[in-house]
Amino acid sequence: MDILDNLVLGLTVALSLQNLALCFIGALVGTLIGVLPGLGPTATVAMLLPITFYLPPVGALIMLAGIFYGSQYGGSTTAILVNIPGESSSVVSCLDGHAMAMDGRAGSALAIAALASLFAGVVTTFVIAIAGPALAGVALMFGPAEYVALMVLGLVSATVLTHGSLTKGIAMVVLGILLGNVGTDVNSGQIRYAFGFPQLYDGIDFVPLAMGLFGLTEIVANLEQTQGRGVIASVINRLWPSREDARAAAPAAVRGTVLGILLGVLPGGGSTLASFAAYTLEKRVSSTPEKFGRGAVQGLAAPEAANNAAAQAGFIPMLSLGIPPNAIMALMIGAMTLHGIQPGPLVMTGQPELFWGMIVSMLIGNIILVVLNLPLIGLWVRLLKVPYDLLFPAILVFCCIGTYTLRSSTFDVAMMALFGVVGYVFRKLECEPAPLLLGFVLGPMLEENLQRALLLSQGDLAVFVTRPISGGLLAATVILLVLVLLPTVKRGRSEAFRE
Amino acid sequence: MLARMTSLSILAAAVLAVAGTGPAVAEYPDKPITMVVGYAAGGGTDISARSLAPYIERYLGGGARILVENRPGAGGEIGFAAVSDAAPDGYTIGFVNTPNFLTIPIERKTRYKVEQFDLLANIVDDPGAFSVHADGPIKTLADLVAYAKANPNTVSVGTTGVGSDDHIAMLIFQKQTGTKLVHVPFPGAAAGRTALLGKHIMVGCMNIGEAMQYSQGQPLRTIGVMADKRWSLAPDVPTFAEQGLPITLSSLRGIAAPVGLPPAIRAKLVKAILDAARDPAFQAAAAQTFQPLRILDSAEYTAVLKQMDGDFRELWKTTPWSR
Repeated sequence: MDILDNLVLGLTVALSLQNLALCFIGALVGTLIGVLPGLGPTATVAMLLPITFYLPPVGALIMLAGIFYGSQYGGSTTAILVNIPGESSSVVSCLDGHAMAMDGRAGSALAIAALASLFAGVVTTFVIAIAGPALAGVALMFGPAEYVALMVLGLVSATVLTHGSLTKGIAMVVLGILLGNVGTDVNSGQIRYAFGFPQLYDGIDFVPLAMGLFGLTEIVANLEQTQGRGVIASVINRLWPSREDARAAAPAAVRGTVLGILLGVLPGGGSTLASFAAYTLEKRVSSTPEKFGRGAVQGLAAPEAANNAAAQAGFIPMLSLGIPPNAIMALMIGAMTLHGIQPGPLVMTGQPELFWGMIVSMLIGNIILVVLNLPLIGLWVRLLKVPYDLLFPAILVFCCIGTYTLRSSTFDVAMMALFGVVGYVFRKLECEPAPLLLGFVLGPMLEENLQRALLLSQGDLAVFVTRPISGGLLAATVILLVLVLLPTVKRGRSEAFRE
Repeated sequence: MLARMTSLSILAAAVLAVAGTGPAVAEYPDKPITMVVGYAAGGGTDISARSLAPYIERYLGGGARILVENRPGAGGEIGFAAVSDAAPDGYTIGFVNTPNFLTIPIERKTRYKVEQFDLLANIVDDPGAFSVHADGPIKTLADLVAYAKANPNTVSVGTTGVGSDDHIAMLIFQKQTGTKLVHVPFPGAAAGRTALLGKHIMVGCMNIGEAMQYSQGQPLRTIGVMADKRWSLAPDVPTFAEQGLPITLSSLRGIAAPVGLPPAIRAKLVKAILDAARDPAFQAAAAQTFQPLRILDSAEYTAVLKQMDGDFRELWKTTPWSR
């Protein structure tokens, strides 16, 4: 009964004309910055933060939240259409989403991504309403050792993403971790792998890396394969998902949502890890794993549901404990603090209209996003019909602008070009860049928590197996590895993954 | 021909420069000012910066914009270096925090030098404090000392990094009490607080403002503050001295710019910062977000930091904190 009362309270707040308008603006701005490669939500939210000072706290948070999940939608659009992940959580959407687009199913892919996200968003809202405070405790159960185990599991499962050899997959993950450790060490202040370039002191940014490895490489490979004419997507036969596509996507979206909620509650890397984990899971449970990477609907629906669910589940620790799971929510906490609201358990009891208004606004925001995005699908799909000799320079320009505006640095643009070349070499060597990106995102967190866990245990490695959650996660890692390495399974795997 | 062009262009540049100073000041700021915070969003310095920035904007007038940028890592060094590396044009300022700002160059080679900073004004003076989880048995510093003596190398203390005020406080505590604790650095107070709430560390060494703010409705117990007297906003927290440990250590948070600002821009900026800090509305906001204010002008601030620098160099000789 309580939940119903709370939802009604939330509805009255979220449906006020001003809050509805702010929710719409947030979703719209979020979609736009998600679609434009390079311009990320963190920068946008940071720029808008001073404006929110003049809005009532609920309205400010509703708008910032809208930008956040709106950008998740927009990010998958570029991933599907031109193979450029706008956010680390949309890397996996490139794999099958872009393959679907090349196969003439761009409309179907965009619709599935939008509907899977909507489904995940709605379910997550209700989960937050029913079990939010209880789930928040999970975030506190994760100490340094648990994080290490979780990241190891995530990284090992990322190797399953590769088509080719397991060795290459592991090598790419390790390479990603190394790239992630470039820059100043958080614990000691030592500068590592910077080779005297001051621009590398703060590390390599995700945007030049992802745009180089995915976007540029894709363009070069396309031009090469077609002797400079460029790939034209197959004739687009339909804008809407076929019945069998929808049937295949539905259970995948459900599994993705569950994974997304579980991983999203944990601060740090939640939505990225969730999207990779959901993809891995789908490939494992699928009876046709050979279709993954070739336009498997499940390979798009599951990670899209997972990253949206995780993005929203991240609000649980944020609102109930004041723990920001990512930079954007840290900014939202800043916005709350500026209004004299200290995020924490007191928010829910002391300011229920803020808590529930925001939760319900997410539900409304997700619906706004789908309403906003579905009619746009026709427009986006037409983009693919643009002649490639016009399209690819445009993509290049957007990649350069996006990368440059990050830090107003031409060095980053040069880095992107370098990673484009590296990505091309990887493609020739049949090394997949997706595991590298996961290693890149999780590597620094893995190292930081590993150091911390060992400090706390005084160098005793047993801490990783004696703590129940950490031990359980590591056991799951070992089981996964054994499954992959067992000779019989291995034969099955090479059949499955070699196509 | 070439020579004439060069001299012409020098002349042109000189004319432009002379002509430029007048309107440049009148127009300053004609683009957003970046305010660098060397710590993660949600921490004490971040909140100081974000709550003060709108008031500086107001006193600068003319629709001035200040963008707070978090550059966390390496005890604040990454953020400090972002300020020292910036052009001295008044469009990059940043918070510098003692003792980190002073202690990091003492302990290691850094990407910035203290002399590269023009110290504009101090805003906050936040004394250190020890907090524990409220479920635990430790209620006083004496409890903590007794426990640490019975269990050497098991009491984990979360700080905001090597050479931070928190870390130095912990080292002085160890020295005075003869205990051995385990140092666990975090990139910011917010992350340390999370670990404390999850009972992954035993003691959170953070500033009293942060501790009071984080304990709103949370099971945290603050067992001592490293100040001369109790803080008016936390009257129940006894000082370290009251409990027999004469430790006073605090974090000064002030605003600095790269050295070499054009004088007119500097004057306008300093005035706006001081007016903002003295604005009653900001002071009320500061009390609400638990920021102990201590407003110092540029000369006072520079003198205090010089004194502290000498003290830390002395301390380094007897207690090198990063070894």
